Amino acid sequence: MAKAKASQAAAESAAGQAGAIDGIPQPKLDWAGRSNQWGTRVKPNAYGLRLGDLNVGIYGEIPDQWQDQTRNPRGAIPRKGVPPLGFAIRDKSDLWAESSGDLYEEAIQRRWAPATDIPWNTLKPLNEGLERAICQVSTELCQYANCDVETITSWQHQMAYGYHEVKQFLATASFDAARQFEAFRKRALSNGGGLGLEGPGQVNRMILESRGGWTEAVTYLFLMRGTFTMTMLRYLERYAHNDAERALYRYTLQDKARQMTYGLEHLQYSIAHQDDMALIMQQLLFIGDRVWAREMKDHVLMEALCVVFAGGISDAGTTGYAIYRQMMGDFMNSYVDTCEWLGVKRQPEMMPNSMTQYLKVN
Amino acid sequence: MVKGPYIGYILGDLNYRREPGMSEAVDLATVEIELKLDWMNRQGEWQTHAKPGKSGLTLADIQIGSYGETPEISDNMTGRPRGAQARPGSFRIGNYSVRTKNEIWLENASFLYEEALQRQWSSATDVPWHTIEPLPDDIEEAQCELATFLTEVEFVAGDVPARWISETTPDYFEPRNVLLAQVMDEARHMDVFRKRALANGGGLMQATGGTAGVVGSIDLARDFTEMSSRLHISGEGAVLTIFRMGELMAYNDAEKAIYRLCAQDEARHVAFGVMHMRYMSEEAPDRHEEIECYLDEAERQILAGSQNPAGNQTASSEALAILLGGGVAHYDEGFRKLMAIRRRQLVEYMKRVKSAGFGKRFENGRSQVKEMMAVSAA
Repeated sequence: MAKAKASQAAAESAAGQAGAIDGIPQPKLDWAGRSNQWGTRVKPNAYGLRLGDLNVGIYGEIPDQWQDQTRNPRGAIPRKGVPPLGFAIRDKSDLWAESSGDLYEEAIQRRWAPATDIPWNTLKPLNEGLERAICQVSTELCQYANCDVETITSWQHQMAYGYHEVKQFLATASFDAARQFEAFRKRALSNGGGLGLEGPGQVNRMILESRGGWTEAVTYLFLMRGTFTMTMLRYLERYAHNDAERALYRYTLQDKARQMTYGLEHLQYSIAHQDDMALIMQQLLFIGDRVWAREMKDHVLMEALCVVFAGGISDAGTTGYAIYRQMMGDFMNSYVDTCEWLGVKRQPEMMPNSMTQYLKVN
Repeated sequence: MVKGPYIGYILGDLNYRREPGMSEAVDLATVEIELKLDWMNRQGEWQTHAKPGKSGLTLADIQIGSYGETPEISDNMTGRPRGAQARPGSFRIGNYSVRTKNEIWLENASFLYEEALQRQWSSATDVPWHTIEPLPDDIEEAQCELATFLTEVEFVAGDVPARWISETTPDYFEPRNVLLAQVMDEARHMDVFRKRALANGGGLMQATGGTAGVVGSIDLARDFTEMSSRLHISGEGAVLTIFRMGELMAYNDAEKAIYRLCAQDEARHVAFGVMHMRYMSEEAPDRHEEIECYLDEAERQILAGSQNPAGNQTASSEALAILLGGGVAHYDEGFRKLMAIRRRQLVEYMKRVKSAGFGKRFENGRSQVKEMMAVSAA
């Protein structure tokens, strides 16, 4: 334990000075001088003073396991005898991603407010079919965001304090999801339409039912749903009908990209540090693909996207559907490529035909 | 450094969408399908025209028609957005324990949420860290002790609301969004005090264990209002008073900025608790006595105990006295100021509880706060 310089002088000085006046207790100062590492002076740089900059000396030592069941900050001296809080996730391989701290700072720097950063005045009346389709897509995006909120917040408090960077990044991720929920609700209610039909919810159920650990939740929430949402947002941005929607999709893309970066990096870390994680993920995705395929048989989102891409109902079954297939092809290629990049072997013949058919599209 | 396949989007590079993997050409000579479009007749209330006001398009602006109607009891078990058309075949996946409006509602949630979005700040760039100069050893040590305590306890107000958010129906998304903003705020508080501890030649010190898993703690509350009374009204209320007095214990502009910005966030959190309790008081008089019991407990444990940085002779209260006095040698002077702060904590607590509709406890002898004030004044 490093002794803080002031401690001895403080104790002596206090003993001599305080307590001499009636009613003022003498300070115990039993906390003074108790530091694992004193003399730390982290300086701000061109980007300010970032969370990752603090990882110097013992403060940057991030152990593979964090057994402390209290909120003891990493690097502080723990207090013995504190009744535990019962954090379930205490292994680094169960939550870690190296860039968590940077993504946290990035999220803060790129904050936005749907109320004032979206040029809502650029919304103009659209043909009714198109408006209904955009409202349907917005409704489903709201529901995706709701699933993000409920999933992330149900795991966050279970994570040990030794990995505070991840807890902090996830605070930004759930806040992003709150904003996504709000932003797409605003879009649905601001141009003569309203909310649509709720989504089928099978994939939501799969994500929320991930009880095997945070890594399992990340597999479904980010690798599977996240890849699809990213692809869909890219296409929605490309075929947006006004600046308000374009801005909405761009901002959301930026938020989702951070989450995807955390998610994929965590999966990569987990696979590298747990013997059978790649196999576990293979099994999870085998099951997940079938749930996914069942949900994609629902025609509502597909038709709504076709109408949006075509700019109305009349060309939705031709041009709109062609663009939709293109989008699904991009999604599938990106999904399978990412699995390969992670080292999770995927055999197309083991995947549902309703998914692999799109692999041939692009 | 952040890396990975999505870095272009993170950085807002609009050309990034041209990356390989997003197809450019669309072959229009493809399969044609016939769309059913039956879902177009199964949507929520139509013809909604929310318009932005002078503060932009706020949550309050979209409370139109049925979309502004919040059910007293939510039967939404599928996670659908309020006002969307339900699907009869959807799975009941919502594990919602908070499904009654008065359990979580408050009247100004939309305002607090929009306010939180507008007032987000960055501890990396909005705090003038360069104004920190070396301090006398006893001051630096006290500052680090207080920063260690705040790093330790601030995220209890992130962890606990998060758990409740996951159990709250999206029909009450307005208060849920305020709580999500709070989780974000608390992440920032945890990091700004860690930054302060490591920025000026000191370091983290010993944790206090002030948020242990014991009966009556914020973590273990079994009811949302019980949790809110402990967290927002007494816990964060006490910390808010300290942050507001930041000018007295700050030694440079960086510390002043930290306390001022944190106070701004904390004030929203406390407002949530007060407004929720007021709503509960008005809408659920049958729970009045139960809430009085929560307040009894909060006064006994949190206002007086180790979760209050100005509590009785704790490490953080001694550190505060040193900071307020200007050094160990002036501990007695600092202690007097600390007692003034403690009285102010109690006065502000009383105001909040009165505002929430539970003021009678200060007249009928139920509350111990006046006795606590007398002790502080002695």
